Amino acid sequence: MILLRLLSWPYLRKHVLRWSLTVAGIVMGVGLLVAMHSANQAVLASFGTTVGRIAGAAELQISAGDFGFDEEVLERVQAAPEVRVAVPVVEAVADTGIKGQGNLLILGVDMTGDRSLRDYDLESGDQAIIDDPLVFLAQPDSLMVAKEFAERNHLEIDSRIPLQTAHGTKYFTIRGIMRSGGLGKAFGGNLAVMDVYAAQKVFGRGRRFDRIDVGVKEGVPVEQCRAALARALGPGFDIAPPSASREHFEAMLSAYSMSMNVSSMFALIIGMFIIYNSFAIAVTQRRPEIGILRALGATRAQVRMLFLGEAAVAGTIGSLLGIGAGALMARGIAMYVGGFTSQIYGVKQALDEVAIDPRIIVAGLLLGIATSLLAAWIPARSAARVDPVQALQKGKYQVLSAGEGSLRRRAAALAAILSAVCLWLGRSNLVFYAGYALAVLTALLLAPMVALWVTRMIRPALRWLRPVEGALAADSLIQSPRRTSATVSALMLSIAMVVGFGGVSASIYLSVTEWIEKTLNPDLYVEASEWLASYSWTLPGTAGADIERVEGVEQAQMVRSARTLYHGVPVMVVAIEVAKLAQKVHSRPIAGDSREMYKLTAAGQGAMISDSFAGLRGVGLGDTLELGTPSGMLRLPVVGIRRDFSDQQGTVLIDRSVYQRWWKDDRTNIIRVYLKPGADPAVVKARILERFAGQRVFVLFNKEVRQYILRVTDQWFAMTYTQAGIAILIAVLGIVNTLTVSITDRRRELGVLQAVGGLRRQIRHTVWIEAVTIGLVGVVLGLAFGALNLYYTLEMTRRTFAGIALDYTYPGPLAGLLALLVLGAALVASLGPAEQAVRGSLVEALEYE
Amino acid sequence: MSKLILCLLVAAFAWGQDARQIVEEVQRRSRSGSEHYEGSLEVVNARGKITAKRWLYDRIGSHGNSKAVLRFTAPPEVKGVALLIVNHPDRASDQWMWTPALERDRRIALQDRRTRFFGTDFSFEDLEERDVGQYDYSLLGEEMAGGAACWKIESRPKQSKSSQYDRSILWVRKDRYVFWRIENYLKDRLVRRATYGDLQEVQSIWTARTVEMADLRENSRTILKLEKLEYNVPMKDEGFTLQALRRESR
Repeated sequence: MILLRLLSWPYLRKHVLRWSLTVAGIVMGVGLLVAMHSANQAVLASFGTTVGRIAGAAELQISAGDFGFDEEVLERVQAAPEVRVAVPVVEAVADTGIKGQGNLLILGVDMTGDRSLRDYDLESGDQAIIDDPLVFLAQPDSLMVAKEFAERNHLEIDSRIPLQTAHGTKYFTIRGIMRSGGLGKAFGGNLAVMDVYAAQKVFGRGRRFDRIDVGVKEGVPVEQCRAALARALGPGFDIAPPSASREHFEAMLSAYSMSMNVSSMFALIIGMFIIYNSFAIAVTQRRPEIGILRALGATRAQVRMLFLGEAAVAGTIGSLLGIGAGALMARGIAMYVGGFTSQIYGVKQALDEVAIDPRIIVAGLLLGIATSLLAAWIPARSAARVDPVQALQKGKYQVLSAGEGSLRRRAAALAAILSAVCLWLGRSNLVFYAGYALAVLTALLLAPMVALWVTRMIRPALRWLRPVEGALAADSLIQSPRRTSATVSALMLSIAMVVGFGGVSASIYLSVTEWIEKTLNPDLYVEASEWLASYSWTLPGTAGADIERVEGVEQAQMVRSARTLYHGVPVMVVAIEVAKLAQKVHSRPIAGDSREMYKLTAAGQGAMISDSFAGLRGVGLGDTLELGTPSGMLRLPVVGIRRDFSDQQGTVLIDRSVYQRWWKDDRTNIIRVYLKPGADPAVVKARILERFAGQRVFVLFNKEVRQYILRVTDQWFAMTYTQAGIAILIAVLGIVNTLTVSITDRRRELGVLQAVGGLRRQIRHTVWIEAVTIGLVGVVLGLAFGALNLYYTLEMTRRTFAGIALDYTYPGPLAGLLALLVLGAALVASLGPAEQAVRGSLVEALEYE
Repeated sequence: MSKLILCLLVAAFAWGQDARQIVEEVQRRSRSGSEHYEGSLEVVNARGKITAKRWLYDRIGSHGNSKAVLRFTAPPEVKGVALLIVNHPDRASDQWMWTPALERDRRIALQDRRTRFFGTDFSFEDLEERDVGQYDYSLLGEEMAGGAACWKIESRPKQSKSSQYDRSILWVRKDRYVFWRIENYLKDRLVRRATYGDLQEVQSIWTARTVEMADLRENSRTILKLEKLEYNVPMKDEGFTLQALRRESR
């Protein structure tokens, strides 16, 4: 503690900028981790809270994916002796049309039994006609809203509000206002309750329910009731506690969460290198100080503890600031992620608040300190080993010893061999990820040596470019590889990460574009919702025939797509008129005979699956696919595997007739419309809208659907790119740090240069070239390691995220842009240190050391 | 002495038997082949606000095995709403509701029979026909109540019978074999009290034309009045089906 106060504090005060930069590395790493984790948790918690509040006292919920099920299921559930109460639910998100209020989550319930499951906690009971459920049931325009919503919109009992329904905009009467808390706070207060049968009618659900909420009879274990219902209903139903919805949502988000975690960890590792760099430099600079300390009797352990103590302090400060920054960023990120998940997954949730979990605060703090200590461990150990005599011989320490280089090479070779073995044997994800970690370790071990080779290789070019400044800059880097190696490593990792993610996104873009070209080729799409991720809005089964009667329409293909559970994971089932599809779509299958698979699927004798489904669910060609339906277990052989990006968790394509038979439903949510040659899409669109006047129908041009899909793909990668940007920023901070130290370190050398006639301009150029060279070496290493990292990232995507084997496409344009960006950033980063180098007092510089 | 002992034994036996027999007799005397009345109902909540409803009621069949149709006539918001109730001797009744605005019927699940009957102070269970066999009875004594001598009987649901109440106290008028009051208890707390008034003999059946149900937890009460009451009116079974409900409510 005394050493910290007497030695570290004055050093820290003298190098505030460098310490700030060092701490900034931790701030960003920890901040990003805390922000991403908190945002993800907030979105999940918001979803979970909405589910929980809506579920009320329900102990079990029965659903059949997004498809819903026939009303008759209710009686079978109510007949179970283990069931105390079973109430049907229809849920819909409807636009209120009220400015600034967005969507309202409508909960359609049966008020005759529902109040034993949900407490509506009604406001002003004497006015609320909802106290008389008969009126509420008798009037299908009855609505009960949450107090927050009512207050925001100055609504009271008997006020009327517009809502988008299946039959256009209709007005509803407020017949009850729920107090704050509980149900009234679900979906951020934007919640309304209406009669379930009225909801069926106004949202065009036919005689189907989305869900049944169940209260278990007193004294009966919930599991016993669940088992009894499973026996009574068969395999097509998911019977689970309300909390299971959160798990399904979590499963859907898992790929996104994992990619966020991976890039957060990358950011932290990059931050670690910055810390290592700073401490390595600090040890170098303070060698005389350390020598004196050792000469005065300080033990090696005391010296080591001094540096580790500094690292702990830096780690603590950085982590605390990081947690604060993370908390500030979390809400914005959560809003983004929330909006994004709603758009992609059609999930009903509204962000309430972003609470920072105390556990992530502790984890962030520990991680920040641990990272800092880990990064400072080698410099601290080096400091402890300083020989008091050698300590006065400046500069030599920066050189990598031959022994150290050899040890590194051997370690790198071993890591590389192990990595290759892991890749070769890497059937299990654990071995694969171990191999990935070893590959990163190999790159890190080799980085200083390769950086040295690259610098030596480009020295002639630099000398040719600027005989004096170029040679000086290159020599400075060659003589002090330790000073720059950490920065180069950080840059290498950052660039490799961006190349990896960029490569994956480029491959996905290519595949998505190809899929769009070959599969999404109708001229028009007719939908019941303008929100393409919504599967609950539907059109009647007669809509296809109606559209085919419109002048200019050649063919209409009815599609019913929605998510359903496959082995506990939500996957997409697409039911389409396959015979018609085969006439219009000619994409090459990944597995299976193209003609045969369409023929068998159209005949209801098989199903086609997406490659993502095959990869993630371990199902192959010829396997029997088992899908739970309301009519029992549907078993179909897999007759083809095709590329399909409809859903990230995988898609199953069946014929519409199979869906109608097994799901007992003939509705459709998308109609693919092909026009006759020469027909004007805009004119036909107008005709379709005219035919469906008064109904909720949206007609989209092919271009609009394509744009939507590409926009969603962009959104998917946007957050990753932001993280990659931050990683680059951290690496650039490293360059500034390195240069600042380099200048301080070489003050005497630069002073001598000036004293013997070196021009300020030349000094500036030297620093600039040095910076750009560091950047260039980092870029070369980063782009090279990026090529390997891209392979691992693609494999990671296949194994964990998407299940699809994407083509290896090196993102050339991105690499070029990245190189320019880093070199430009390096140059900008050098401006300050360069000025510092030329503006200092010559006398002081010559007196330095 | 032996006569006295014999008398006491007979009295004790009769005391236990009487309670059930009394309730059975109440049920027997109220039996009719059909029933029709115009009902009016007023709910007075804790703040004194009154909500009123009117309906037409038709019943066919005898106690425990009957069908009934209840058609709301007022207020305008509920006019046309109809209920079909099918009572069974061995289980809870089946009920369907027709809502004209939606033009559809719905089954009303009475799994939770504690639910209030459409905002009134009657629960669905209170309106069910009580099956005498599903309760145990004991005679608590006799007392003057409502200006008449009454038997005071305690009824407890048998193990096989699920009820929201732990027990009920029934007052039966000795002169007419009709209920004067029923008090329902939950965990020894009085939660609902039904009081029968305006006793009239209609076609030889003594009937309370007014029933007041008080919910002592909510501090509200509901007054049900039976007007234009007739028994044994000619009715057809076809009138008590879902088809008839749909047809006649349009």
